[in-house]
Formats: sequence, C-alpha cells, structure tokens
Amino acid sequence: MDMTLFDLIRNYKSLSISGMCKNAGKTTALNTLINSSPDKEILALTSIGRDGEKTDTVTKTQKPDIYIREGSLFATAEQLLKFCDVTKEILDTTHISTPLGSVVLVRALSDGYVQLAGPSIIVQLVDISPYFWALGADRLIIDGSVGRKTLCTKLLADATILCTGASFSQSMEETILETQHTCRILMTPELPMLKSQISPIVPDTKYVILGKEKICLPDGAALHEHLKQTANPNYLYIEGALTDRFLDLLMRSGYPKGLTIVTHDASRLLISSDNLCKLNAIGGALGVLESINLAAITINPFSAYGQHYNSMEFKEKMTAAVPVPVLNVLEC
Amino acid sequence: MLSLSHEQKKRIGFTFVMELLKPASPYGRDAVRRIQPFAPGQEAALRIELQNIAKTLSAMPILKNEYTRLEQTFAQVKGIRRSIERIGQDLNEVDLFEIKRFLIQLRDITELFESVDTIADYTGINIEPATPALKLLDPENSAVATFHISSRDFPILAKIRKEKKEVERKLRENPKSDDIDLLHTLRATLASKEQAQEQYAMQWLSEKLIPWRGLLLSNTEAIGRLDLLLQKAKLAATYISCMPEIVVGVICFEEMSNPQLESILSAGGRTFTPLTMEMQTGATVITGANMGGKSVALKTLALNVLLMHCGFYPFASSASCTLFDSIHLISDDLETADRGLSSFGGEIVALQDVLSEVSCGKNALVILDEFARGTNPTEGSAIAKGVCAYMNKQNAFTVMSTHYEGVAALANMHYQVAGLRKLELDTTLLKDMQKASVSARISEIASCMDYGLVRVSADEALPQDALNICRLLSLDERIVDFIEMNMV
Repeated sequence: MDMTLFDLIRNYKSLSISGMCKNAGKTTALNTLINSSPDKEILALTSIGRDGEKTDTVTKTQKPDIYIREGSLFATAEQLLKFCDVTKEILDTTHISTPLGSVVLVRALSDGYVQLAGPSIIVQLVDISPYFWALGADRLIIDGSVGRKTLCTKLLADATILCTGASFSQSMEETILETQHTCRILMTPELPMLKSQISPIVPDTKYVILGKEKICLPDGAALHEHLKQTANPNYLYIEGALTDRFLDLLMRSGYPKGLTIVTHDASRLLISSDNLCKLNAIGGALGVLESINLAAITINPFSAYGQHYNSMEFKEKMTAAVPVPVLNVLEC
Repeated sequence: MLSLSHEQKKRIGFTFVMELLKPASPYGRDAVRRIQPFAPGQEAALRIELQNIAKTLSAMPILKNEYTRLEQTFAQVKGIRRSIERIGQDLNEVDLFEIKRFLIQLRDITELFESVDTIADYTGINIEPATPALKLLDPENSAVATFHISSRDFPILAKIRKEKKEVERKLRENPKSDDIDLLHTLRATLASKEQAQEQYAMQWLSEKLIPWRGLLLSNTEAIGRLDLLLQKAKLAATYISCMPEIVVGVICFEEMSNPQLESILSAGGRTFTPLTMEMQTGATVITGANMGGKSVALKTLALNVLLMHCGFYPFASSASCTLFDSIHLISDDLETADRGLSSFGGEIVALQDVLSEVSCGKNALVILDEFARGTNPTEGSAIAKGVCAYMNKQNAFTVMSTHYEGVAALANMHYQVAGLRKLELDTTLLKDMQKASVSARISEIASCMDYGLVRVSADEALPQDALNICRLLSLDERIVDFIEMNMV
C-alpha cells in the first residue's frame, strides 16, 4: 500500500508546507495532515504571512478552510481571531507584530475553523516554536506562503512538503520542469564541514574562495581577479544570493574547473533551470551550508483558472521527474 | 524647571547614570523616561522620594529574597495600559487576557510588596489587589494565566457551546456521512451564535470592569515608581552616595564623584579624585592648571545637583543643597553652529537668557566653564571679571572656572585645583619623560596631577603649571627658554 502524506512526515517534529503557486493545494495538504494525525497528538499551527482566508485575496477563488481539532494550538494575528470560529483560550501574547496586530498564541477549546497569520519574518517564526513546545505541542506545522523558498532552513523546521499544481501553468510540461527545478534546488547537497572553514569571515566580505587557502573578498571585481589567479579553487562561498546574472558572468569569464558554489541555504539560490543545467554541463556544482529535508511533493491537478490536468498523467510524469514521493493532494 | 539640554545631560554624565538603571517592568522603564526634577515648592515630595530610597536601602539586606522575587515578577509584567484604558469600551479576548494576567501578577506583587512594606514602610506607594476584578475574569478560580470566555455566568452561551460540541463530535466521527453538508451548516450557525454571545459576554465584562479601571491604572503607576525606586537604591548602594539635605541658600557636597568620568578614568587605569565644594549665593570661581580638571569639577557638580533634584542620592559622602528653578551650564563647546553663532557669540546669547531669568527672581544655578575664553585675552579677561562681579551681587548661585587673572578676587569664594604644585621637576624626571611616548607622558602628568579642589583666598595667585606641562610634554628647550624670558 502506498504511503500517506502523514506517513512521510511522521518522524519529523516540525515541518513547513511551501507552494509553487497560489492554489497549489497547500491548505488541502495541511488539512490532510491534521485529519490523519493521531487524535491525542497536540498539533501546533502557524503560518508565514497570512493564510486560511475563505477566498484567496489574490486570485479570488474559493479556498479550503483550515479545520482544526479541539486541543490544537495555533499562533495568529490578533485581528484574525474574530475569523476563527473555534472556542478560544488565549494562552499568551508575543511582541511579534504583523499588519493585522501582534501574534497571539491560542488553544482551541473546540473543533473549528481558523485563519492563520503568523510572523512574516523568518527569525520571528523561529522565536515562536519554543512557545509551542513549552505549551506541550507534539508537532509543529508551518503553513508557508507561495514562492517562499525561504522556508529552507532546519532552524525553522525539520522537513518541508512542496505543493505544486495545475494553477502554476497551463502547460503541464512547464509545471513539471519548474517543480523539478525547485526540487533540485531544495535538495542541493549540504556541506556542513564548510561552516568551520568559512568562518570567521572578515567584515564586509561578500565572497570567500576556498582552495589551498581561504581568501575573503569584498566585491565582484576582487573576486574576478582572484579567481583568475587562484589555482583550482574548490569552493566559492557567496554571503548573499547566487543570481543568474552572477552565474552568467562567471561562466562567460571561464568557470574554474570543479568549482562548487555554496550559499547559506537553498533560499539563496536564485537561478533558472537553464542555468543550473549549463552549470552541471560544465562540471560545476552547488552546495549549501544548511539544507532541509524535502519529505514529499503534492500535486493538485485542478487549476483555479480552469485548465485542469489529467491526474493520472500528471502524477506519473511528476513521479518520473523527481526523486521524492509524489502524492495527489486530493487523495493523500 | 528649565533643565539642561539633552546634549548637556550627556556631557555631564547624567545620561550615563540613567543608562545604569535597569528597571524590570515596562512601567519602570516608563518612569525612567518620565524622570523630571522636583522644583522649589516640592521639597516635601522630594523628601518622601529620598526617604523611600533610604527605606529601601535599609530593608534590602534583610529582605533580599523578597526584593529579588518582586523584581522577577516585575520582569514578567507587560505594558497593557492601552487595554486598561479601553475598559468600558470594546475589549476583545486578548485585552481581557492581558488584564487577567495583570490581575494575577498584581496579586503576587501585592503580597510581595506587603511583605517588604512591613519593614520598609514606604510613603506614597500604594499597590492594591483587585481581587473582585480577577474573580470576574476567572469565575472558575483556576488561577491560570490564560483566558477564555467562561460560560459559567452565561447559560445561553453554555447551551450553544454544548450543541456545537455535539455537532462537531458527529462531524469528527462520520466525516463521510451523507448529511455532512447539513452538519457543517448547522455548525456554522451555532458558531456564529456562539460568537454573538461571546461578544455580549465581553461587553458585559468590560462594563463590570469599569469600577476597577482607575485602580488598575494607579497600580501600573505604583509598580513603575517602585521599580524605579529599587533601581535608585541599587545605584546608591553601588557608589558612594548619601541622603542629601534639602536646605536654603547653600550648596555643599563633600567628596563628590561622577560615575561616567570614573569609568573613563578606570579604563585608563586611573582613579577619580573626589571633589568637595561648598558655596553660597553670588559667584564662586575655580582656577587651576590646564588638564587639572576644572571642567570635571563643574560637570560633577552639575550632575549631582541634577540627580538630587530628580530624587536620586547624589554621589557624595555628604550633601546639602537648595532646590533650584533652573540649572544652566554655559561652555564654549555649546552647539551654536545651527544658530549661526560663533562659540563666543553662543556663550553671550546663553548668558543673556540666564540673566533675564535671574533678574525675574528665579532661583538659578549658573555654571560657566571658562566663560569668554574664545575671544581675545584682554577683552576676554574684562568680560569674565565683569560677569563675575555682576553675578556675585545676584541672588543666584554662579560657579565659573577661568584662566584669567584677577577674576577670583571679585567672587566671594575661590577654589583651586591642586594641580602640579606638589611636583618637583628634577632633571631625572624630565630626562625619563623625554624618552617616553606622548601618551605615556600624558598619563605621567595625570599621575602627578592632584585633581582635588582646595579652597584658597580670593587673591591667591594663579598656578603656573602651564610651563611645567610644556616641559613634561618635552617641548623644545629653546622655546621654553623664550617662554620664560617672556614671563618676566
């Protein structure tokens, strides 16, 4: 028998759900997890940014509500409490502010619907989890918003579920290719041993070359100079993000043989699938200091814009394209 | 009270002292921000504040644990004045949660406060519990610092919740049943009824809390005041300080110090020399060597006078001081550029402001740091003498430091920085000095310098330390010879 979505995340104490686009089925996946978790398990829920509205404020389509069980914990913005129809027990208030008021921690004294709007800053989201553990949560689920590949660090959650679907593009091929690309980026190998080699970094460093020795560089011009001179650099660490423009320049001026480009985490790898292919073709590679476990990919064959996919075909093709379990969000 | 500018407070070390205060509660932090000097006429209130510090200091060693627990409880208090102020209006469940938590904390704080107050016996600090208000928000007497709208006093709400729970149970048990949509609709209806009843309950609670609003607000004030008071006492215990006497017509500080300057000096391995000053209305003049600490003396005086006015123990071994309407500090490093004035021009404008106030009969402390030093020495000296002679006849306290000869003779009191007078400049010392680096020489001078203030006669000659300092800093011998020739 096939594994359910819950089976795939059972061993992770905290996880995030990220989406390739609006209406990719994030909330459906979240509801599935809520329904399939054991009755006695205390779930804690929050989101980055806002989620759980009846209609999507961007596409104006009907969205599923988050329906939670009595005893669950959730963190949401003060002004959204009136849209949560569970009987509420206010547990604590935080200093984390959102456009909808500060974030409040609540226990559901009954089953019911909630709207989540947690902190929109990753660091603050990290601050929330200790509250939940202290309140007795067994598992934390963070509803990530769309395009937030920033939920890619273990600091926040042990694993992530990536949701994708027909709303991404009219073309199934394109949806699959882009999902495959995101999947590759999220699965960029972790190089934890580099952490100690890179730090400490001289102030104002943007790039670090690791070869026979460590060289800290403040800008692109200095990097260009040094890459020419340095024989066989093994790693190039970028303090900020890796962009297409940067990669283009590097490849045009002669990509050093065997060089691996490293960023802090996958959210800093802002490159297109074309460029990633080119990079791989010339023997280059990517690495991150911190990765996240990609537990599963869920697919939604229904599009909010009317161009639905054939579910069987979509699932088969996606399964062939990615090295992680693929589940239809409506059947998992 | 016309106070010193922000910049001046920083320069005299007042801001530094304020930053040493670490109140635990948001109300304590508010109280620090709102510190205002007591003015003439408020002597009684100031005495109460100072006596409360004395009471804390004597009670603290006996009740160490109680005070620590009090501060720990303060640290958990959140700033909820806005929620309290909204009592009687539309409170939501988060406001009610905050108020309930505050009421629980207030109960603990009251208990702790009562136990310290039996020994300390504070005046004017009243922290009172509001038990009936807590009972309203915690009808089940759970004593848990969380909040939910209890249905205990609201039978309709209780009935709706029971029905809703039942529907939710059915939904949970038969998620695939045929009448699932019907159940969801029913649940939605009950949920909106529940919300309406909760709204009603919150309105009811909000109204019931109205009689407690004033008490809750005054409790936040009292917590802030007590929190600040504990900080004042800790500060007094950390440094040499004393209970000042509030008197009329005298300023007298023995062995004053200044924590900011102390910390700067101790970072350089040096110590602060305590300063003793006594003065009456009229002018007091401070003369002394360069690098001798005339400005330090003035800043330290200004700091301690201001601290006492703000209800702090001054940093001195004994202190008595009159209450002023205003304290003024005029020095040529005033920021006058934005007014388009030279530093000299700035001094004159500032002095005129002070004079108009003094002539209105206001009780003022006027501190002039090397007044008119920026202009030519002939006129500068005449201006300093003129100002000194004039201020000496006024009913204000004026302290001025000066390099000019003959100013002190016009004042009713004259202090001198002891300076290098004890130092014998023998050839070995000079030779040693010449080998040392500039910074080593400066610290050598500092170690030879006696920063203490000595009261001298009005016509005591100015110390001639400038030339010695030139020598110690190894100024070329040939120039020193020329200088000596010119001094004859």
